[in-house]
Amino acid sequence: MGLRSRHSSSVTTTSVQEPNNGNIFNIDTGKKTLGNKYDWLIFMGPAMILVAVFFIAPVIIVFIISFTNMSSLTGFSNWSWIAFENWIKIFTHPQSGQHVKVTIIYVFFTLIFFNVGLALLLAILTTHIPKAAGFAFRALWLVPRITPVVVYIMMWKYLMADSPYGIFNEIFFKPLGFETSEIIAAHPYIAIILVNGFIGASFGMIIFTSAIESISKDIMNSSLVDGANIFQRIKYIIIPQIKWPLMFVTTFQTLSLITSFEQIMILTDGSYGTEVWSLWAYHKGLNNYFGQFQWGFGMALAGILVIISIGFCIAYLKFFKFSDMIQEPKIETL
Amino acid sequence: MKRNIVIFLVLLLTITLMAFVGCKKEEQVVEGPREVTLRIWTKAGPTEEWRGKAAIEAAKELNKELESEGIVLTVEAVQETAGWGDFNKKFTMASEAGKGPDILCTGHENIAVYGSTGYIIPIADSVTEIKSMAPEFDDVIEGLWGMTSWKGQIWGIPQDTEARPMFYSKTKLKELGWSDEKIAALPDEIAKGNFTLDDMIATGKEAIAKGVIEPGYGYWSRPKSGGDFIQYYMAFGGQIYDAEQDKLVIVKDALLDWFKFQRRIVTEGVTPKNFLGTDWGIWHDTVSHNNALFFAGGVWHFAEWATQHVQDIGGMDYLFENFGYALQPSGVRGVAAQQMSHPLIYVVVSEKSSGSPNQDLAIRLLEKMTTKELNTKHAVESGHLGILKSQSDYAPYKADKLLSETLYMLDYAFFQPNHPAYPSYWSALWTNMEAVQNAALTPEEGVDAVIAVLEAEIGDSLIIK
Repeated sequence: MGLRSRHSSSVTTTSVQEPNNGNIFNIDTGKKTLGNKYDWLIFMGPAMILVAVFFIAPVIIVFIISFTNMSSLTGFSNWSWIAFENWIKIFTHPQSGQHVKVTIIYVFFTLIFFNVGLALLLAILTTHIPKAAGFAFRALWLVPRITPVVVYIMMWKYLMADSPYGIFNEIFFKPLGFETSEIIAAHPYIAIILVNGFIGASFGMIIFTSAIESISKDIMNSSLVDGANIFQRIKYIIIPQIKWPLMFVTTFQTLSLITSFEQIMILTDGSYGTEVWSLWAYHKGLNNYFGQFQWGFGMALAGILVIISIGFCIAYLKFFKFSDMIQEPKIETL
Repeated sequence: MKRNIVIFLVLLLTITLMAFVGCKKEEQVVEGPREVTLRIWTKAGPTEEWRGKAAIEAAKELNKELESEGIVLTVEAVQETAGWGDFNKKFTMASEAGKGPDILCTGHENIAVYGSTGYIIPIADSVTEIKSMAPEFDDVIEGLWGMTSWKGQIWGIPQDTEARPMFYSKTKLKELGWSDEKIAALPDEIAKGNFTLDDMIATGKEAIAKGVIEPGYGYWSRPKSGGDFIQYYMAFGGQIYDAEQDKLVIVKDALLDWFKFQRRIVTEGVTPKNFLGTDWGIWHDTVSHNNALFFAGGVWHFAEWATQHVQDIGGMDYLFENFGYALQPSGVRGVAAQQMSHPLIYVVVSEKSSGSPNQDLAIRLLEKMTTKELNTKHAVESGHLGILKSQSDYAPYKADKLLSETLYMLDYAFFQPNHPAYPSYWSALWTNMEAVQNAALTPEEGVDAVIAVLEAEIGDSLIIK
């Protein structure tokens, strides 16, 4: 849009000495060329191809397979169309409610307490202490993210295992006289939220840190001069100034959490009522104990996730008024 | 014009010569021995390498026969350590792409699924026919052929089988005051149904009360999902399969009794709260170091414990000194005990799925693999039971104390059915059994949930009694 605006103005200023870039920017002639109309394709084309191949096409395939009875029993060649049978099965399945419930709990609490809440807290704290200390602290919080996920989960398993193997039980609960237990099984929701949250917090932390550090020092300093305490500073300066990254992280992490299951799979494999919707889809469609797969039903379950994710995208875009925040810079529209 | 004719003649001559050269090459291939490669895929742990190595050894024997037929056979054995789900997924995807192996070692319950899709081929039309095909096949223990049958045909050759005993600590029972005679008689008492699951719980409670074992260590089941748990459904009079109607069966009363048992072991304190899901490493370490009174496992665990867990404190000698093994106790007094065997089988992959037309050679290789010499090497090394009648008199097999003392358990064995809906059936049982044991559901709620899920998922293949 910016480029087009600039070109529109050049139509009336033929004396401007700019290099002629061939058909695309024919400033000298002032003619509207083919390039003007479709130049966005050149810039957007590669990204559009990637999106089409790796998002649109898989989504279409997911929905097509969801209307078939494709499974280990039919293979990829003996399947048949069964219309909405898989979709009806989802809505009548006695376990659907449980999977919805655990997914909502998992996404909501991980998002609020860790991926956004803790991330914001860490960003604020580490930008208000000496720079080197803040950097070191943030680096520490990146460890869960850079640790191989299997190793990371194994560490959690042995942290939360029953006595005498579990570190928490041996160090804290047993000496204090509390009853020891397999903590993951005793508090499965807390376990999956903690394990995911410790990884997820670092993403928001980095984004928020850079946003806070880019707030003008003048504003920050003047708030101090005005006598604002730290809470007032957070409420009236920092939060409004980082509204955009805050919304981005919330949106991105919601969608990410809805479809993520790998940590839960390695930690509990869906036991103790922790089978979130995406893990249910994975188990039904792609991996289970006996290795028998219901691709059609699994794809219908995945299709629900696609619909919900698109719904969330639209809701967030409307609710957070993203379009207002990505207005053209005023200098371009003058 | 003349020039064009010359060029044409030169081209013609060149093509003719090339054609002759090509023919000559083809003749050379026909004259020499034909090289054939058979690929075999197995899932095997560190002590189970003979599942694949047997094929390599057998190929040496088969090559002697094939020499006169102008064939040189090579075997490529791939041994995976992945879980069954991943292993089966790999085979499924490879078969769909026409890149599967020639021979697959798999659980017998997969016959129905792989047979339906055409991934594997039937080897014979009846037990009589398979036995007549080779003396090696005639030597297979009669009862095992049932596991390789589906729709009246034979789809696989047994590879190994096993027993899933209830292990018990002899030394802990002695500490509890049991005499040597009473301990020695326990397997027989269990087999007859005189020592039941109730007695096991009572003994565990007594051992805890007297300080012989720590609370929660009276009975340790398998810690994660697995068909083993269905032994307790059967122990209370359950039925899995109706062969006449080819449908899976739920006996509500047996299911309820089983779920009550799973809850009771926690409320009575013989199994820890929230036990299911315990890491396998912790489980092996705990039971192999004599910390639990009763624990359910498989005969193959002895080999694993001896080589990987207690090798520094006596290995196999330590295990025999401390542990005994019996059938899984019945839940009903006076009713004979049972245990579940899960034979692995070799199946022959179809031409379409393997991309290779050597199914006949694969069957001939399986004949050479099904010998007492090769199978005993696997049995002894991995702690699995043999599959051949001749093994019971074979000195190296008889010399193995564990195998010879647990062979009788096959007489009390039941098997999981070759029914395509069985994975869904098991999944519903496991999910709700776990919820009941962890007190997320009452036993009654658990039964209702199982039935609701099964009716939704496999209602057409289900009988509820």
